[in-house]
Amino acid sequence: MGSELIIKNLHANIEGKAILRGVDLAVKQGEVHALMGPNGSGKSTLANVIMGNPKYEVTEGEIWFKGENILEYSPDRRARMRLFLAFQYPMSIPGVSVANFLRRSLEAVREGNKPLEEGDNPSGKMAKRKSIPPREFRNLLQEKMRLLKVDNSFINRSINDGFSGGEKKRAEILQMALLEPEIALMDETDSGLDIDALKIVSESVNALTGPNLGILLITHYQRILNYITPDYVHVMFNGRVVKSGGKELAFELEDKGYEWLRPAEEENEVSING
Amino acid sequence: MANTLARGLSRDAVEELSRQKGEPTWMLQKRLHAWDVFESTAAPLGRRGDLGTFRAMANFKYQEVSPYIPADGSGTLPAVIQQSLQDALVNERAGHVVQRNASVVHVELDDELKRQGVILTDLDTAVREYPELVQQYFMTKCVPVESNKYTSLHAAFWSGGIFLYIPKGVEIEQPILSQIWIDSPASANFVHTLIVADEQSSVRFVAEYNSAFEDEQPSILNDVVEIFAKNEARVEFSNMQDLGLNVWNVTNKNAVHEKDASVTWVMADLGSKVTLSNIGATMGGNGSVAELVGVFFTDHDQRLTMNTLSDHAALATNAETLVKGVLAGQSRVEFEGMIRVQPKAQQTASFLSDHTLLLSKECRAESIPSLEIGANEVSASHGATTGQIDEEQLFYLMVRGIRREEAERIIVQGFFEPVLQRVPLENLRSRLRRSIVRRMSGTDDLEADTWVDAQERWEIEGVDEHAISLDGTKPEEEIKLTEY
Repeated sequence: MGSELIIKNLHANIEGKAILRGVDLAVKQGEVHALMGPNGSGKSTLANVIMGNPKYEVTEGEIWFKGENILEYSPDRRARMRLFLAFQYPMSIPGVSVANFLRRSLEAVREGNKPLEEGDNPSGKMAKRKSIPPREFRNLLQEKMRLLKVDNSFINRSINDGFSGGEKKRAEILQMALLEPEIALMDETDSGLDIDALKIVSESVNALTGPNLGILLITHYQRILNYITPDYVHVMFNGRVVKSGGKELAFELEDKGYEWLRPAEEENEVSING
Repeated sequence: MANTLARGLSRDAVEELSRQKGEPTWMLQKRLHAWDVFESTAAPLGRRGDLGTFRAMANFKYQEVSPYIPADGSGTLPAVIQQSLQDALVNERAGHVVQRNASVVHVELDDELKRQGVILTDLDTAVREYPELVQQYFMTKCVPVESNKYTSLHAAFWSGGIFLYIPKGVEIEQPILSQIWIDSPASANFVHTLIVADEQSSVRFVAEYNSAFEDEQPSILNDVVEIFAKNEARVEFSNMQDLGLNVWNVTNKNAVHEKDASVTWVMADLGSKVTLSNIGATMGGNGSVAELVGVFFTDHDQRLTMNTLSDHAALATNAETLVKGVLAGQSRVEFEGMIRVQPKAQQTASFLSDHTLLLSKECRAESIPSLEIGANEVSASHGATTGQIDEEQLFYLMVRGIRREEAERIIVQGFFEPVLQRVPLENLRSRLRRSIVRRMSGTDDLEADTWVDAQERWEIEGVDEHAISLDGTKPEEEIKLTEY
C-alpha cells in the first residue's frame, strides 16, 4: 500500500494571525494534485506547516503521514520519512557546496529515523552514520543531473548562492530527484520562470512522476498545468480548501478566475487585503 | 645548569635568569631596562564599558607562577609532545624548532639552506654568536620594549626563543615549523620569535602554540613575534594557537615592511582562557603589502581581544585585514581594527572586515573598526557584522533531512569557508576544519568515523572541482608537455 499524506482540519497562525482555518486534504503516492488559489490564500503556509516550519504555530488539526501523526515531529524527521518540499524561495547558504550538502542530505534521508531517537540528540554528539562512498554518490548525482539536464559546474557552487531564479528552481528539482521522496510539496515551482525555464522544470517533474511519487503542486497560475497534468485540482481560499475537482477545474479557473469561489461569508474580511 | 626560578616577578629574578644563561652585559642591561619600564608602566585597562579582557589580563597572578621553568636535561619529550611532532602541521619542512616551556629542545635546518647562509637557532645561541644582529633587531624598531607593559615584561624575562635569518635572495620553499609546548603548570613563558628576511628573500613560517597539562594552576604565554621584511622580501607567518583553557596568552606581533616587501599573517585563535592579541603591520617602505587573515572560535568562558593595526607610513602601500569568528558558550570577543594612514602615505589602499557569528545567547562580541586618515589620496574601507544563525537557513537544511545540530555545523562551516580559502597552508586549513567540526559537535570524544567523514566531506569540495563530468570520464590529471 502506498504512502498517504492526510491533512485534517488544520489551523495555523503566524505571529498570532490565523492563516490556515481548517484545511482538509489527502495526497497519495502516485497522484499529482494541484493546489491553486489567489495570493494570500495560505498555500505556501500549508506547505511550510506540513514540513514543520517553527515560524508557524499549529492551533488545531492533524497531519498524518504513513499512518503517523507527524505534527510534533521535527522538520528533519519529517524529511527522513520521505516528505519533501521544493521551496518557493530556496535559501542560499554561502560557503557550503551543493555536492557536500546533497551528499549529507541523501545520507540522512536514507538513514531514515531508525538509528537515533526522535528529535534532538540530547548528548549533542553526532550520530554514527552510514556514509555514502564518494564514488557511489558521484555516479548517482551524475545520473540525476543527466536526467534533469543540469550543468556540472552547478554542484561545486555554494547552495543557491548567486543562482538565478531558474537555477534555484532546478536545484530544488535535482534535490527532489536525488532524495526520492514519497510525497513532494512543490511550492510555486513555476514562479519567476520564463517560458523556456518553465518547460525544462516541468519536463524534469514529469520525468520524476510515477507510482512512487505523490505531488502536491502549489501554483498561482494555471500555466504550469499545460505541462504537468494533475489528477486532482484543489482551490484554496482564505485558509481553506473550498473546491476540489479533476483537471478540468484548472481550465475553469483560467476562464473565470478565483472570485466566483470566494466563500460568501468572508467577503468583507478579505476585501481589505484585495 | 639551569634552574627553575622561584615564583613571582622581581628584579633579582631578572638578574638571576641572565646569570644562569651566562649572558653578555648588554643583554642583562636590556633586561634590567625592560624591568624598569615594566615597573613604571600601567597595565592597559581597556575602554570604559568594554568586555573586560584587558582588566582580566591585568589581574593575572604572577606571584603564583615561575617566570622560568627550563626543560629537564634528560632530552626526552613527553609522549603527548612526541605525538604532536608527528601530527605537525607541516611534514615537509625546511626547518623545525621545538620549544618546551622556557627552553628550545630541538632545532633542525636543511643543510642546503645552512650552506646558503640561513640561520635558524634558539635566541640564546644567537645572543652569543650573532650579537650584532640581535642587538640591531631584538625589541628595537619592530616591537620596542616600551610598547606596553606586557612587551617590557617579555623583554625582561624572555627565554628560549627562535632566531631566523634569511640572507639576500634566498627563497625557502618548504615552510619552517615552530612548535611551542607548555606542559608545566604555574609557569610564565616568554617565547620570542625574531625573523629577519633580507632583501628579495622569502620564507613561510608556521608557529603552533599548544599546551599539555591538566593542572588547574594557570600558566601564561607572553610571546612576541618580530618580523623584518627587507626590500622585496616575502614573509608568510601562520599561527595556530590551540592552548588549553588553563593557559592565558598575551601576544604582541608586528612586522616592519621595507620597500615592496609583503607580509601575510594567518592567525587562528582557538584555545587559551584569556587572550590579548596585538598584531601590527608597519608599512614603512613604499609599495609594501600587508595581509592579515584571522579565524577564531571561542567557547565556555574564553575571552579574546584582538587589536590589529595597519600602519601606512609610506607611498602606495596596501593592506587587507579579514577576520571571521564564531562564539559559543559564555565567551566574549572584542575586535579592534585600526587603519592608520599617515600624511605621507599617499596612494594607500587599505581594507578591513570582521564578521562574527554568535551561537549562544550568553556570548558577546564587540567590533570596533576605526580609520585614522592623514593623506588624501586613499582608498580605505572597513566593515563589521555580528549575527546569529539564520533560522530560515536552518529550516532549509532540516527540510532536507539534516538534524539541527548538524545543520548548524554546516552553516558555521560555510561561514568560515571563505576565510579558510585564504589560509595558504593546506594542513592548517584542514586542521581548522577539524577543529571547527569538533567544537560544533560539543565534545572531544568524537567517534573516529565522524572525523574521517568530516574530512571526506570537505575534501569533496576541492576534489570535485571538475571531477564530475556528464560523460562519466575521469578528469585529465596529467599536464600535457605541449602546453609548455
